Amino acid sequence: MKIVLQTINLHKSYGHVRAVSNLSVSIHEGNVYGILGPNGSGKTTTLAIITGVIRPDLGNFFWFEEKSSHDIRKKIGSLIEIPNFYPYLSLKRNLMIIARIKNVPETDIPRVLDITGLSKRMNSRYDTLSLGMKQRLAVASVLLGNPEVLVLDEPANSLDPEGIAEIRQIIKGEAEKNKTIILASHILDEVEKVCSHVAILKNGEMIAQGKVNELLVSKDPVIISSENLDLLEEELIRSGLTESVNRQNDELLVVLKKGYTTSDINSYAFSKGLVLTRLEIRKRSLESQFLELVK
Amino acid sequence: MRKIIEIELIKIASYNVFRVLILLHLILFFLVVLVTSQLDITVPGFSTHNLYQFPNVWEYFPWVASWFNILLAIMIIVITGNEYTYHTFRQHVIDGLSRNQLLSGKGAVIIITAVYGTLMVFLFSMIFGFIFTRNYTLSVFYEKIYILFVYFLQAIAYMSLGFFIAVLFRNTGLSITLFILFRFVIEPVIRLFFPKHIRLFFPVKVISNLTPVPEFLSIFSGNTEVDNTAVDTYSLREMGILQEELPILINILLAAGYTLLFISLAWFLLRRRNL
Repeated sequence: MKIVLQTINLHKSYGHVRAVSNLSVSIHEGNVYGILGPNGSGKTTTLAIITGVIRPDLGNFFWFEEKSSHDIRKKIGSLIEIPNFYPYLSLKRNLMIIARIKNVPETDIPRVLDITGLSKRMNSRYDTLSLGMKQRLAVASVLLGNPEVLVLDEPANSLDPEGIAEIRQIIKGEAEKNKTIILASHILDEVEKVCSHVAILKNGEMIAQGKVNELLVSKDPVIISSENLDLLEEELIRSGLTESVNRQNDELLVVLKKGYTTSDINSYAFSKGLVLTRLEIRKRSLESQFLELVK
Repeated sequence: MRKIIEIELIKIASYNVFRVLILLHLILFFLVVLVTSQLDITVPGFSTHNLYQFPNVWEYFPWVASWFNILLAIMIIVITGNEYTYHTFRQHVIDGLSRNQLLSGKGAVIIITAVYGTLMVFLFSMIFGFIFTRNYTLSVFYEKIYILFVYFLQAIAYMSLGFFIAVLFRNTGLSITLFILFRFVIEPVIRLFFPKHIRLFFPVKVISNLTPVPEFLSIFSGNTEVDNTAVDTYSLREMGILQEELPILINILLAAGYTLLFISLAWFLLRRRNL
């Protein structure tokens, strides 16, 4: 698969504060890549670097395996932090400016306003919009020209639950078109629901990255119970299938070694003459995984 | 470049502050030349109406217009400051403009505004010149018309200074205050610490001297009514009545140099700083 974005050892400091340190990632075509991290972890700085508004102190990055340039940025729809528009201009005129920058025909403006539900406000001034509408306009501007790559920094900011669901739906729709999406968010649920891959940043450094499923499943505990819990516990410890076995009331909380699944446990117990009355994966949320990682 | 100009036109065409400042510039200039044209002060060897006759009108009108260049510079500061306030410079780069194109956009606005100012002076000069001049030859008509070009350069120079200050401070209010202070207080005060011949080389001095106070007495003497009372302008400079100036060509070159310097410094800041 083609590499859409590659960063090599990116560094950025503000005085003594290290915002991004030694950041290397490769994002492939069609990935929906989430960037997670607590406040000040370097998410926005990273996105600002790759979109050309901040210069890295060290390191390099490549879009579509080429050195970044303003022409390449025209192929990318980016929303970094807050929406940036002229308050005294109408929605249409604001989008006309972006359309001209990106060499996109103005005929695309009604399409993106329609997608974001802003068609009726096309001629309204930007400063008359609600916060949520402003955010939708920012999403509309990102979709202008149907770019191959979307870079979104907190796209659901300021939106009500309905708006969040709509934006999430738009992102999913774009992902289904095999577009590459880079999404920074502090809403873990959003990343979990939308992204295929995730990178977790802390103090400007990447502390984990991988497929969302793998990152979540690898250490999910399994809840097991049986009528003979003592024997089951003994056998599981002896089995070599588990990393840890902990007793919690009438159940065992088991973390499997990498490569083993619940069916291996079931087969093993059956071979020892033990009947399991419960066998269930307690899927830990990305939030608990995330908090554990950034602890 | 056409695309960049179109983008700038979309931004300013619907911007009320731009409209108001341009209208104010036009109205103030018109009012001053209209009101002074109605004053007929005639003393032996001098009539204010001479100022409206060809070729003196080409000198007098750019001088009056130069008072209002500050409005044009403030307008440039406002629209540049807006780009920082609204984070739109940043957004333009994200969307695919280069930093050079950001500079080109504002450069285009400066030139378009200077063209507007020069056209305004040209049209009013023509109208008043034809009204007030009874007999003139083609050579008299063209004699000082080159001052229009000098005015054009002066407008660009003031706006470039405003643009540089706006890029430097990235804050509209602060930039306007500092521009006005620099124009009317800071540089004039600094000049006082230097010998007279050095003072002529300071940027604001150079730029303002592009359209110096019309040499009224030479205007009087140029008029056939009382040419025997003419007073040599050189001696008036010696007497300190008229300000000392560098030769116009030197002034033009220096002003062009300062303009280039302001634009280069703004370009350097735009390229080096994070947006």
